[in-house]
Amino acid sequence: MVASGTGTQLAIGCEDGSVKIFQVVPGGIQFERNLDRRKGRVLCLSWHRSGTHIVAGSIDFFRVIDVASGQTVQRIMVNHQVEKAKRECVVWAIALLSSGTVVSADSFGRVQFWDWEQGTLAESHTVSTSAALSLAVSEKEDSIVVGTSTGATYQLQLLPVKLGGLEKCWVRTKPFQFHSHDVRAVAHSSTALISGGLDAQLVIRPLMEKVQKKGYDAVLRKFTFPHRRLVSCARKARLLLFQFSQYLELWRLGSTEETGKDGEVLPPCRMPEHLVQLKSKGPEHIYCSCVSPCGTWVGYSTASRFQLYRVRCDGDGVSLRKVPKVPKLLPPAYQLQFSADSESLFVASARGSVHVFQLLEPGGCKHLHTLQPPSGCSEAVYLLAPSADGHWLAAVSGDWAIHIYNLKCFQHHCVVPAYSCAVSALAIHPSTNNLVIAYSDQQLFEFSIPEKQYTSWSRAVQSRGLHRTWLERDSPITHITFNPKNPAHILLHDTYLLCILDKSLPLPDDSTLLMNQSTLKQLPETARKRQLHAFKICKKFQPLLFMDLLDENCLVVVERPIMDFKTQLPLAVQQKKFGT
Amino acid sequence: NRREDTVSSYASGGSCWTLRRNSSQKEWYLLCASGDFVKVYSVNTEETLRLMGGHADLVTGIQLNPHNHMQLYSSSLDGTIKLWDFMDGIPIKVSSLGFYLHLHFYPLSGPHSSVLLLVSDRFFFLWSDTFQLVSVKLTKGAGQDLESKELSVVLDGVGASVKHIAFGREGAYVVSVKDVTLQVYFFKRKLLNRFSLSTVKTKGGDNRFSCVVCHPTEDCIATGHADGKIRLWRNFHHRKEYTYSTLHWHHDIVMDLAFSVEGTRLLSGGVESVLVQWHNESSCQKDFLPRLGSPIEYISMSSDGALCCTLHTDNRITIINSNLRFSRSIQGLIKSRDVKTGLVVDPRTKALVLNGEPGHLQFYSLQSDQQLFSLDIVQRQYIHQAGLKQSDLVKVAFSAQGTWLATVEESEEVTDPELQLKLWFYSEETQSFTLNTRINTPHDNHITDMCFRDMDELGDDSLILVTTGRDCVFKVWVMVEDTDPEGKSAHESVSWSCDFVGSYHNYQATNCCFSEDGSLLAVSFEETVTVWDSLTWDLKCTFCHPPGNIRNICFGRLTCSKYLIGATDYGFLCCWNLLTCALEWSAHLNIVVLQPDPLSEHIAAVSWLSKESSLFVFKPNEPRPLYIQRNLCKEKILLAAFVPRDEPETISSEKYLWLRKSQLFFLTDTQELMTLSTKSLEERLTPSSKQLAVEESLPVTPFSLLLGKHRHQQAQEDTDLGKPVVHNKQEQASPAVKELLHTPAHVLPSASFLCTIFINSLLISKENKSAEEVADEVEMESEKADGDSDEEDVTVMEQEDTSPMELLGEMTCKLSKSQEKELRKIRKMDYSWIAAF
Repeated sequence: MVASGTGTQLAIGCEDGSVKIFQVVPGGIQFERNLDRRKGRVLCLSWHRSGTHIVAGSIDFFRVIDVASGQTVQRIMVNHQVEKAKRECVVWAIALLSSGTVVSADSFGRVQFWDWEQGTLAESHTVSTSAALSLAVSEKEDSIVVGTSTGATYQLQLLPVKLGGLEKCWVRTKPFQFHSHDVRAVAHSSTALISGGLDAQLVIRPLMEKVQKKGYDAVLRKFTFPHRRLVSCARKARLLLFQFSQYLELWRLGSTEETGKDGEVLPPCRMPEHLVQLKSKGPEHIYCSCVSPCGTWVGYSTASRFQLYRVRCDGDGVSLRKVPKVPKLLPPAYQLQFSADSESLFVASARGSVHVFQLLEPGGCKHLHTLQPPSGCSEAVYLLAPSADGHWLAAVSGDWAIHIYNLKCFQHHCVVPAYSCAVSALAIHPSTNNLVIAYSDQQLFEFSIPEKQYTSWSRAVQSRGLHRTWLERDSPITHITFNPKNPAHILLHDTYLLCILDKSLPLPDDSTLLMNQSTLKQLPETARKRQLHAFKICKKFQPLLFMDLLDENCLVVVERPIMDFKTQLPLAVQQKKFGT
Repeated sequence: NRREDTVSSYASGGSCWTLRRNSSQKEWYLLCASGDFVKVYSVNTEETLRLMGGHADLVTGIQLNPHNHMQLYSSSLDGTIKLWDFMDGIPIKVSSLGFYLHLHFYPLSGPHSSVLLLVSDRFFFLWSDTFQLVSVKLTKGAGQDLESKELSVVLDGVGASVKHIAFGREGAYVVSVKDVTLQVYFFKRKLLNRFSLSTVKTKGGDNRFSCVVCHPTEDCIATGHADGKIRLWRNFHHRKEYTYSTLHWHHDIVMDLAFSVEGTRLLSGGVESVLVQWHNESSCQKDFLPRLGSPIEYISMSSDGALCCTLHTDNRITIINSNLRFSRSIQGLIKSRDVKTGLVVDPRTKALVLNGEPGHLQFYSLQSDQQLFSLDIVQRQYIHQAGLKQSDLVKVAFSAQGTWLATVEESEEVTDPELQLKLWFYSEETQSFTLNTRINTPHDNHITDMCFRDMDELGDDSLILVTTGRDCVFKVWVMVEDTDPEGKSAHESVSWSCDFVGSYHNYQATNCCFSEDGSLLAVSFEETVTVWDSLTWDLKCTFCHPPGNIRNICFGRLTCSKYLIGATDYGFLCCWNLLTCALEWSAHLNIVVLQPDPLSEHIAAVSWLSKESSLFVFKPNEPRPLYIQRNLCKEKILLAAFVPRDEPETISSEKYLWLRKSQLFFLTDTQELMTLSTKSLEERLTPSSKQLAVEESLPVTPFSLLLGKHRHQQAQEDTDLGKPVVHNKQEQASPAVKELLHTPAHVLPSASFLCTIFINSLLISKENKSAEEVADEVEMESEKADGDSDEEDVTVMEQEDTSPMELLGEMTCKLSKSQEKELRKIRKMDYSWIAAF
């Protein structure tokens, strides 16, 4: 399925060899017509920039279809020059350049450039011994990125044959091997090559020659986990809800009665217990989920449906009952959040709106109110943070604006001053009602909701600047929580570290060591005092998916070892490695 | 000294180029820098056609003249550039650039027609490893010798090797690589771009550049790297948006790269000794030519692309067809990693025998400078990889007739040498050696020496082989008849087995040798030389000269057969009399090589002292050496061999009489094979090379005839008088004439101005005495001639030390030249005034 350059039409290739055109209308799509149908499944499509032609790749051939007439104007066999090969040649990816050149990537590992009007092959580059699976063209059409089934991506560039000359040719330039499995999707931004593969990694490889200055963009980024919350915790009930792509799992945490020193592993007196697995119906992935702090409500949402369940623990048995007559939402939730007293549910929705549901005993739910920013918003809300006293709710929409609503009177309270970066996590302090915000550029802000302004600590942080090592970190803060015992403590975590930010201590400057916990341990008590700074960082748990404070003495940390899911991956393409 | 320089793969700038002369003759020439010479090979016959000498130091680069493919530029460490007509081996032009110590150069075609670019270390003394690329305008002057002063620095900090600089398409830019930096300089835009790779060595990667070449038609630079990668750079006129792609097959350093003439193929070579051909970079396709014998050092393409040649580290040139088929190879002396076998002379072919390819024995013909054949001794596949311990040949011995060959091979493992002793019989039918006996682990430790009993008259039955080992024994091996009568020929029915094991106080046996008549065997055990009766194997007597272990021993020959000579590592050369069992004489000399001449009594000894090797030739019965050559060469001489001459040479100089029957060859630690020549350098060089091409090409005009006649007469005069032709005089006179002849008529100054110069040049200078005067001063003249030739001798022979040899404790009776002159003066003095008293 590919949208045309103007975004008004959608072309869909089908297994039966037909290409269907849909008109994009406000609020949906409308079938327009069928283009010329030929035998052979359509595997890939590409629009010409002007929208006049579509090229469709199939097995052993691709064809160029004139959109206006719907007729196939050219059909080119891609493997006619490979005589010995009786194997079929699958055109996995195709692109139609504005110059009229068709670029095809096929299962023989070739990237071929065709002049479709003449039906001739202009250039052929064998980039890999295994299949070339995906293809993306840069905006200027002078660079192509190809993903292969060995996990390697290649860049092809249109370069002048002679310096300053007009004659140009495509040259395979940079190979990158960041994946272990098939690279199923590639994208070409103006400054980076982006690839995603079967090994569950998203890699952004910057093109150093296009990056103007050193910064966040100039560094290779690898993402294994989404930068969003996949685990939710019922503090009072000590339950954890894990969100998987097709199901949810509810676990009861184990506990121990023993105490020990730092570094010791205590024997649990009660083992963690898998309470229930909740499978979502249909092929849709679960988009978001949440468990209420009391542990009796579980909600999740897929792309089309929102579901709410009532959990009852009676003795050893756990019963799960679907809450009937949940108000239908279209589109369904982008984020779910229960209030601290578990009496209401906040559902983040499209156009900046937040629905407030009242949860009713024994198992019901009622739509109470819809909060909306006063100025209106086109983007959906993706993060929610209710206050512990049930007074405030902070909502972040896709335009990165943070709206704060008063829940007592269901009114818009204020907007946090705009910042030029995405919000990665936010939380409201239970005692001071200060909103702590973490941005994707690693900046931290503290906003006083009652006073509608940044706190003095936040201003101090901004004027002084955060530590360089902190700012150069790779992954954004995904969760913020607070220590009820010490209001000066803010607990933050990202995929690689867990940090206790102590506001009462001085901020570190660039000359001091940011991660100084291990050195502090070796120092005597008096010297340690002088070395202390606000950031207390622990890197013991990696990759870290979730961290929350259950009560004053208990912290739950969810770690997901990479090997756990690497072993579940299918076997990679066998490659002979020299020297093995 | 004549340097039998091997093809200069060891030299830093050796490079070779092929070209075709013309289509009608279909003849190919391969030009190759080799030591101080440029060699011209015929590709068809693999013969050395010409040896162009004249450089006084190592030739660092050669390059065809882009305007005339019959001409060749060569550069040398002596600071000169010469333009040669290589078809005739004549130097056309000499440009001296005095202060350059090291240079490679590239004549540029196109707009920079007369500009040469050189790599120089002009500031060598300031920054020890800074080389610059300098462009020099060569003036199109008339004379043969040019001084080029117009210099401009193009690039700083370039690599010293010829492989580190390349010129782009049509000479538009120059590329230089050094360490991890690539520099491109565009001549027209005067733009310098510098690209650096990461110095961090990750995952076995090593980004240092090893070589660079440019695509002939496209703007593409190919660079080889230390980790075996090849990078193809494009868009390098952008400082930021440059890009490169990578080809990777080699597992170790890429030694050289070459593009085909059209640029569609790229050839690469390295230590794997595989030539890799990369087809156009878009496909992963590549072809291989494996098993080339030894690591590839240089790759060169012929100008029409039909041939390619690779130069290997073992001093061999392989010529390869364009379809990547092995065509032929030119090989002189194969340079082996380590000559462990020593220099041995094959009695049958008079060829020099030593280590060749790994595990092979090479038979090198000195007369033809060619390898006769290579005998595979180890018979195992050699793997070209650093750090791998593999078996190699360490000892070789021939029987007197050359019918038997004994070889010892051992693996490089120190603890477990895996020794094998092999005995080979020369089969007349197959004209090669066939393996007769193989003895596994003949000794428990390394074998130190091995010799046959040389008894020509007694035939094969008396043949005995003695091996000495570090396991403190020497073993005697004899032939035994096989009891099984199945064997067809006599030699197939014999095999070798151990007959006697001797030892002496459990010392390690280090050397062994038989006396000339074969009756005595001398074996050295550390500090002691033991002499054994070869019939009964009784210990006859022992000699020692403490302190110091015995390094070499040998028996005297012919009239001196009663002497045993030994050299100790404590710096003594001793001569013992076998009849009196006493030390005859000894000398304090640090002898490293002791080599007896098989055809005479002479023994050559080479000493190594404070970075110079000296040669002493002596007879054992006279403690005074016959011949001393101090400072033979700067390198350490490791091995020497006397090679019998086919027929005794007539040698006029008394000094060299000992070289009459055989010739002495040396091998230095840099694996240069050298010999002592009785002739001077001038004599050896072909006379034509001394003549000037310009003179040859003079049009036949009445003027030139006149000039010719004049010259002829002068030469005639000289020869009539028995004087050596002194070239200097002609050369002094010629520039004026040459100037006159070369300058176009329309720019010549007026004839009246030139007249005096011309006439002066024709005048016989005052040094040339008239015939009458000559007769009067015959004595003086002859003295002068003597002096002249002596001078020549000195230049050729290098500094001859005329001072008496204090070390030997004897005074040479020969008077020095100055003393002789002094004496003559005294004789000629008028003593008539005494009569008055």
